[in-house]
Amino acid sequence: MEDVMSIASNSGDDIITKEVTLNMGPQHPSTHGVMHLILRMQGEKIVKAEPDIGYLHRGMEKIAENLLYSQFVPYTDRLDYLSSMTNNLSYVMAVEKLIGLEIPERAKYIRVIVSELSRISSHLLAVGAWGLDLGAVTLVLYAFREREMILDLFEMLCGARLTYNYMKIGGMRGDLPPGFKEKCRDFIQIFPKRVDEYEQLLTGNRIWLQRNKGVGVISAEDAVDLGLTGPSLRGSGVKWDIRKDTPYLVYDRFDFKVPAGGNGDCFDRYMVRIEEMRQANKIIAQALEQIPDGPVNADAPEFVSPPRKDITTNMEVLIHHFKLISHGFKAPKGEVYSSIEAPKGELGFYIVSDGSEMPFRVKIRAPSFVNLQSVDPMSRGAYFADVVAVISSLDPVFGEVDK
Amino acid sequence: MNRNHYNFDLNGLLKKVFFVDLIQGLFITFHYTFSKTITMKYPDEETWIPYKRFRGLHTLNKNKEGKELCVGCELCQKSCPTQCITVVPMQDTTGKGIADRVAYRWEINLLRCMFCGLCEDACPTEALKLGREYELAGTSMQRHLLTKEELLAPQAVPAEFEGGVIVKARLGTDETGIKVVPDMSVQKRWW
Ligand code: SF4
Ligand code: SF4
Repeated sequence: MEDVMSIASNSGDDIITKEVTLNMGPQHPSTHGVMHLILRMQGEKIVKAEPDIGYLHRGMEKIAENLLYSQFVPYTDRLDYLSSMTNNLSYVMAVEKLIGLEIPERAKYIRVIVSELSRISSHLLAVGAWGLDLGAVTLVLYAFREREMILDLFEMLCGARLTYNYMKIGGMRGDLPPGFKEKCRDFIQIFPKRVDEYEQLLTGNRIWLQRNKGVGVISAEDAVDLGLTGPSLRGSGVKWDIRKDTPYLVYDRFDFKVPAGGNGDCFDRYMVRIEEMRQANKIIAQALEQIPDGPVNADAPEFVSPPRKDITTNMEVLIHHFKLISHGFKAPKGEVYSSIEAPKGELGFYIVSDGSEMPFRVKIRAPSFVNLQSVDPMSRGAYFADVVAVISSLDPVFGEVDK
Repeated sequence: MNRNHYNFDLNGLLKKVFFVDLIQGLFITFHYTFSKTITMKYPDEETWIPYKRFRGLHTLNKNKEGKELCVGCELCQKSCPTQCITVVPMQDTTGKGIADRVAYRWEINLLRCMFCGLCEDACPTEALKLGREYELAGTSMQRHLLTKEELLAPQAVPAEFEGGVIVKARLGTDETGIKVVPDMSVQKRWW
């Protein structure tokens, strides 16, 4: 009751009404999937916002314990299904670290290109849906057009538009198809102009500013204490980006900036996402420039299936292929943690191996799950309508939260 | 919270009074009124032909002489994470396969399949490919249990076709349900 009093007196509101509990979701259109928020409200003001999760729980971590290392890759697609590529990447990098496998240069560049494309498409959806939630319906239509271009590129690359399963342990399922580079170049030419358009639509718009500026403020210390990562952390001014601070793949070879906000409000998180899209675009341009020729799969017969032309011509190779597909490979005993900067924050996989073909335990550190706990501190004392902006600015995806 | 607090700034004030921010946004919307549309009239007039690598409905293939490539090795069944493929091999001396072992039963339960493509990667003879058929909705569960005979049928889009285009199409109905029949002669790209 104490916090109720303080909120009411802070706002100069002397009337204390009965506290109301409001269930927002799990079918509310603006709660991004199956989010369920239990809001305790005093009039229009939020006293406490409590996320109730688990509606999409599929037991991902348990499934992993019953599959070969290579068979779990398609399941990671279903974590943050808006950027499956980065999920694939994080998982295969963890397994590669466990078995001590080094992948070829070309594969590293392809991985960078696809994860940055993924970052753009994820941020496009985040910003688009955010506009939609706050009533700026125009933006989502334009954002989806560019997202469609990226999905088109991905379809060309790996044959799927949502659940890519493009990476495999030790490399990629296929090299870049002919014509991909040109198409990708076309996209990175067009894209910055389109980002300018989004900015023209929203950044200066008085309604957008009023709905986002000063809403959902979280200080840098609080953000660090809560374990926020990704744009939600950088919005508060903490320049922490795994791509920059502990570079993986070939990120140390590119020139890019890590944008950060100052106030830690929703508007800063919006600006960080917009700027990150521009930076991702720059990284793709540089990667396309520098990408070397060569194989895309590691030459490590004990972990990676041999090339197809050898399978059809050489009996020994064929037998080995059978062995590898049906029994998998034995990983050394031990445990690893490997994390990457996914569009939503730090996505990490912690794998414990008991020396068999299947993981003993897989723990997924999902950014949306950790970020979601800041809904409460961000929306306490704010109006009900601000909760919508706060949720959109955190951009949670429930495949990842509920696992 | 200082959301209603504005510093005094004449330029900004004038922009506010004349709704410059909103007009700028409206200008973009207005500009797009006259640009080329990018949507397609699916399924009545147009349809999408996916790229070559598309992972849609499974297909079992034959070689140039018309012999079944599948040798019933059961590797696809082994590799599938969701266990939706059932292969029962048999000895066959009639010469319908490339070896004297063919699949007696080859069934897939599409309700479990997640189109990950691991079976396609596993198949040693390239008999199994994920094709370009993607309109897989149906009204009965039975429709999603497909057998070898159905999967061996020739595909609507030839395998060599590059794809990634919008083509003219016609919406038709037959006894199996609604079908979108593509007409490959009229093609266009959308970007
Ligand atoms: S595509 Fe994946 S889930 Fe479907 S049958 Fe093949 S291996 Fe199994
Ligand atoms: S489709 Fe390929 S992998 Fe499956 S049984 Fe036939 S030959 Fe073996």
